[in-house]
Amino acid sequence: MAAKIPVLKDAPLVIRMAGLSKRFVIRKEKSLKERIVNFGRSNKHKDDFLALHDLNLEIHAGQTVGLIGHNGSGKSTLLKVIGGIIRPTTGVIQRRGQIAALLELGAGFHPDLTGRENIFMNGSILGLTRKQLAGKFDEIVEFSGIGEFIETQVKFYSSGMYVRLAFAIAVSVDPDILLVDEVLAVGDEAFQQKCMNKIRQFQQEGCTIVLVSHSAEQIREMCDRVIVLDHGNVIFDGNTENGLSALSTSFEE
Amino acid sequence: MTDIARQRAERLAAQPLITLASGPGGFFRGTINDLRELWKRRELQGILVRRELKNRYKDSALGFLWTLIKPITMLLVYYFALGQILGASRNTPEYAIFVFAGLTIWGLYADILTSSTMSILQNAALIKKVYMPREVFPLASVGSALLNFCIQFGVLLVAMIVFGQVPVNWDSLYIIPAVLVVAIFGTALALVLSALNVYLRDVQYLVDVMVVLLFWASPVVYAFRSVAGSDAAGVGTWLYQLYLLNPITIAVVAFQRGTWLHGHGVETSLAKSHIPLSHNYPADLDLRLIIAIVVGLVFLWFAHRLFTRLQGNFAQEI
Repeated sequence: MAAKIPVLKDAPLVIRMAGLSKRFVIRKEKSLKERIVNFGRSNKHKDDFLALHDLNLEIHAGQTVGLIGHNGSGKSTLLKVIGGIIRPTTGVIQRRGQIAALLELGAGFHPDLTGRENIFMNGSILGLTRKQLAGKFDEIVEFSGIGEFIETQVKFYSSGMYVRLAFAIAVSVDPDILLVDEVLAVGDEAFQQKCMNKIRQFQQEGCTIVLVSHSAEQIREMCDRVIVLDHGNVIFDGNTENGLSALSTSFEE
Repeated sequence: MTDIARQRAERLAAQPLITLASGPGGFFRGTINDLRELWKRRELQGILVRRELKNRYKDSALGFLWTLIKPITMLLVYYFALGQILGASRNTPEYAIFVFAGLTIWGLYADILTSSTMSILQNAALIKKVYMPREVFPLASVGSALLNFCIQFGVLLVAMIVFGQVPVNWDSLYIIPAVLVVAIFGTALALVLSALNVYLRDVQYLVDVMVVLLFWASPVVYAFRSVAGSDAAGVGTWLYQLYLLNPITIAVVAFQRGTWLHGHGVETSLAKSHIPLSHNYPADLDLRLIIAIVVGLVFLWFAHRLFTRLQGNFAQEI
């Protein structure tokens, strides 16, 4: 097991949540006819679903936090709230620093553009300027291992190449906060190793990582703090081993 | 503990904690912050416009020529069907220029509305996964529509020279407010429609119908004079006032004044048939243009506030 990197003692706060809740409204019918027929009774046809319930969390710089829990416990929703993709229903979320999200790789790729054009497009979506990207271009191509295919339209890429290029762009951002949602199992074994090394390098450089994973092994290897979610509530927040056992007890219930 | 980590921690400690919008924020402060963020992302904006243009005619042999083929076909159809067969060109000198000018400015408006309405939905994959100011998508549609407009406008200029009109005099200045009015109202509607379409997909079909309907509500293929001189909607009737309330009508008339009416050939043939020049546009065109721009800017601001209110739930509704 890799040696854990000690967290700075007076590390600044990077993410703070207070009283954070997210409620999804599930409407059962969508068509106009059904809406008119059910007009007035429409409240009966709405279902509330509390994805996150009154979360109060603080995450400091340099921590690697694992979010674990059952399917549907709110892990991914929480990650999206941190990333600013979903707005919380109530409560406050504050954060600072450059953020990058490995939520779904290649989401911003355009199939008809070449690898090179997609690097510039995807990079600017992630918030890099053209100048920064030009400087990082060789590094990105090198890391992805795409080689000469960089001038080919990405629709002709294999799925492995696609994901590798996307990962290479995402990690080139040099984030202060990195959000990772189950995407570390991409590419072949050699590339996975490369990804893990990159993540370790980020840890050493004091990057804050919030990671969603179902793999206990991965959590154990990388995280120094674990938050266990259950139906939108935090049921455990503390060190990795206790967190993992808290999760398995909640499975047994 | 590495030095990089310590430096990073120090840099972070110096930054203020930013509260992610939990609501639409203050009315004025929200707008300023949003504008600042949009300005920071202007490079992305440019890239998205280019992508949209590339995407539009991808894998087609003629590519960009299609931006010209469509309006030229429309021009020919209207020129022959309305102008020659139904006889509109008898009362409207230089009917080809007249129709092409109308179709060019109208095309900008129609293009903005139809392409922007779908813009948020088409980028669903991105919106669900990455945070960025979502305004960039409808704005990219507006940007690519404006570029298409520029190409068509170039063709119009060539046509004006071919038909022997002087392309520049004082009336040419009317082109600027005309395009501004269309751009402002188009952008405002683009924001509103793209956001509403996420929640109610009927909007995209409604827009298709409205574009057909509104085409006839502005003097694009018929002369403004025919409306003002008609019995049902002539000067002084409430229908006439209603007709002039449409900012796009004002823009179309102003654009025609800038490109068609100022032409030497038009003036002489109107004079020959004893039609005063001023019958071709409403008396208070200047004032109406200014009002349209001011009202449009207010509307644009409200549209943006509505957009920020609605965008919070985009990721889960798409």
